[in-house]
Amino acid sequence: MGVVEDLRRVVGPGSVRTDAALLDAYAQDAYTLATVRPLAVVWPASADEVAGVVRVLARHGVPLVARGGGTSLSGGSTPVPGGVVVHVSRLNRILRVDPLASVAEVEPGVVNTWVSRAAAAAGLTYRPDPSSQQACTIGGNIAENAGGPHCLRYGVTLNHILMADVVWADGRQSRVGTLAGDPEGLDALSLLVGSEGTLGIITRAWVRLEPVAEASATVLAVFGTVDEASETVSEVIAGGIVPAALEMMDNLAVSAVERGQYRVGYPPDLGAVLLVEVDGLTEQVEEDAARVQAIAARHGVAHLQRAASEAERTLWWANRKTAFGAMGLISRNYYVQDGVIPRSRLPEALRAIEQVGRQHTIRIANVFHAGDGNLHPLLLYDGRDAGEVARVQGAGHAVLDVCLRLGGTVSGEHGIGVEKRADLARQLTAPEMAFQRAVKDAFDPMARLNPGKIFLPL
Amino acid sequence: MEPVDTSACVHCGLCLPSCPTYLVTGDESESPRGRVVLLNQLWGALAVGGSGDPGAARAVDSCLDCRACEEVCPAHVPVGHAVEAFRARAVQAGHRRRPLAARAAARYFGTARGLRRFQRLGQWAQRPAGRAVLRASGRLGGTAGAAAHLGTGLPEPVGRRLGREGIRFGGEGPSVALFYGCVMDSVYQATAAHAADLLRLSGYRVVSAPQQVCCGALHTHAGDPGQAEAWARQNVAGFAAAGAEWVAVTAAGCGAALKEYEHLLEDDPAHESARQFQQTVRDVAELVALGRRPPLPARVQAVTVHDACHLAHAQGIRQEVRDLLRWAGYELVELPDADVCCGSAGLYNLTHPAMAAALQRRKVNTIPEAADVVATSNPGCLLQIQAGLRRAGRTTPAVHWVDLVWQAASDAGVV
Repeated sequence: MGVVEDLRRVVGPGSVRTDAALLDAYAQDAYTLATVRPLAVVWPASADEVAGVVRVLARHGVPLVARGGGTSLSGGSTPVPGGVVVHVSRLNRILRVDPLASVAEVEPGVVNTWVSRAAAAAGLTYRPDPSSQQACTIGGNIAENAGGPHCLRYGVTLNHILMADVVWADGRQSRVGTLAGDPEGLDALSLLVGSEGTLGIITRAWVRLEPVAEASATVLAVFGTVDEASETVSEVIAGGIVPAALEMMDNLAVSAVERGQYRVGYPPDLGAVLLVEVDGLTEQVEEDAARVQAIAARHGVAHLQRAASEAERTLWWANRKTAFGAMGLISRNYYVQDGVIPRSRLPEALRAIEQVGRQHTIRIANVFHAGDGNLHPLLLYDGRDAGEVARVQGAGHAVLDVCLRLGGTVSGEHGIGVEKRADLARQLTAPEMAFQRAVKDAFDPMARLNPGKIFLPL
Repeated sequence: MEPVDTSACVHCGLCLPSCPTYLVTGDESESPRGRVVLLNQLWGALAVGGSGDPGAARAVDSCLDCRACEEVCPAHVPVGHAVEAFRARAVQAGHRRRPLAARAAARYFGTARGLRRFQRLGQWAQRPAGRAVLRASGRLGGTAGAAAHLGTGLPEPVGRRLGREGIRFGGEGPSVALFYGCVMDSVYQATAAHAADLLRLSGYRVVSAPQQVCCGALHTHAGDPGQAEAWARQNVAGFAAAGAEWVAVTAAGCGAALKEYEHLLEDDPAHESARQFQQTVRDVAELVALGRRPPLPARVQAVTVHDACHLAHAQGIRQEVRDLLRWAGYELVELPDADVCCGSAGLYNLTHPAMAAALQRRKVNTIPEAADVVATSNPGCLLQIQAGLRRAGRTTPAVHWVDLVWQAASDAGVV
């Protein structure tokens, strides 16, 4: 009996498909430098069906990748050669919002923003807010340990997941973590978060909800130069203010996003724009907002504005969060990097990245979480030009070399995926890499779950 | 017919959860991002004389053209327009016939005579013999069954005049001519008169524009832009002759189509006049919201608003309808996912009955019990939602918001 027939017995004939058109639609995620047509796509409708699918595939020796919104920027959900895509898009129910315990129980295919929307009536919110939050799913967020602008103050996905149901590589199911928040014995949940779908498949998650802040203030500061903006960032942090978010965009990035759906009306000749949000208790927010504005003024800010309404704040954030997608307006393709540097080296890093762009003849726009030093240089290229594709990949690795040289890391929040495997091997020592591989082997000795991600083949 | 440029798509995927067919199927090939990939392949096949993968064509064709993805796309990739262009090319290349429903629409829409024929069909559907036939064919699958089901959504009784015959002209202020809209004109006849009354109340002078025809939206969606262009030229000339400052529309689908005439007549001698015409087109809600609003007393009815796709996504109009209902004294009840398509989508509920029914169920299930009325802005949505509510055994009516606001103004004696 073939693998496809066996899968059909688990999920029903309509929920396994192998037609060419469909497979092509699944050949990429949001990282478009890798294209792999899968063997089949399967849509399980329950955790038991996920387990059944995993068992069938294990028996046939076929690898798989679990997919949620398909918004990974590192190829985390790119199909595995010869493998099956397990699309959890139909596991998309919010099962419970418990306002007293401040917990939401959700299936992995639930979209990030749906959680906060469901919790809003109770005055609660789900904090991690990756820029793709209108489309990315909780399962994928857990797999990638997703971040987002507001993780500066509130922490990344890891800090917001209490408990999860998992299907392991052999098809067994178990629950990891506790609602009390304290791990029992070895903390398997923390190991799972950020493992990029290589250790297990999440079939249900209990996520932490938090009260919406009493007050918040969003300040927009436009500078003539990137250096002035960088110095403002350093002084804000050094002054002991922990903003909820602290974001920067440079001229090229702004020029793209201002042609897009959410136009703020930034001056065309700006060097950089900072978006600073502070939140908390009203008095503290007022004090912090005033200090942020004073610091920006000391560093030669050209235009300073505080959001006058929720609508204005929402527009500023929509503008920032759609910056990646808007690159299509100024370039055929883009390739985003995710390196991290010590915050104090920001001006130096930006100058080095600019130089990388010149050396490889690649235009680079910069959008980044300035508050935690997580850079997102957007490398613009034309995918139809093979020479340019090679150059852009070279430039990408060179950008990560800059980050490593300055004492940083190769990934802040997008994961290693297929994209940064070589870079990870440069960042970690041989024993560190060996330890990581040993963990993977312990959970998935037959290399069935998203193989070929994180680690280069030996 | 040339492909529409979708090269600004960088595959970010932000559109996926906005797409009704993706929400129902969870299938990437039935998402906007998937369709962009498949459209590229299909155009590639057409360029070398092939017809493309039938599965890809089916996945592309299951697009509702609701424009929700275009509204959320960071780079405004025009997926709906790209699908329309592909349909037109496939018909042109002889790879498919015009859909049966589009051919049927051509029999009824476009002329007043056709509309009276359509109206008689509606009246027949409400006589005992007609009801029996509808009940029998309602059990059938496919287009016949879907059409019979939609018949149960008709307002009762379907009247014997066209809406245009009831309009009272006159008033003081900027001049405005109503665009009738085929289904509004023949099935929801009272709305035209009500819209005219509200426009006069809010400070406009309602004038006549008799030389108008179907907007052509259904034909554009179905891959028959030729007919749509011919009608567009007639409408541009007809409204120029009427000389009104504004053109007011009660059907969201028509309004969206009229607002895109410049694009439709891109290579036409009438292009410049189409551009000028397009700038005068407004949904009735836009005009009334800007006008005079005498205070109206509170009412006991609670209303929930379904955003018609071609009002919300294509024209960006949401708040005006709610503001006007509040002005009229109604209490508003929130409808979750108010702007997710109800499955009507022009002729979609006839060409894709299964998907349309799934979206209809979704929509009806979200309509809160606390709502006494569902208000919307498009005849297709009215039919689809009303038929769905009746099928679910609910007595809640689906009503054009113009009729609700007019009722309040009428009860207060101001119209």
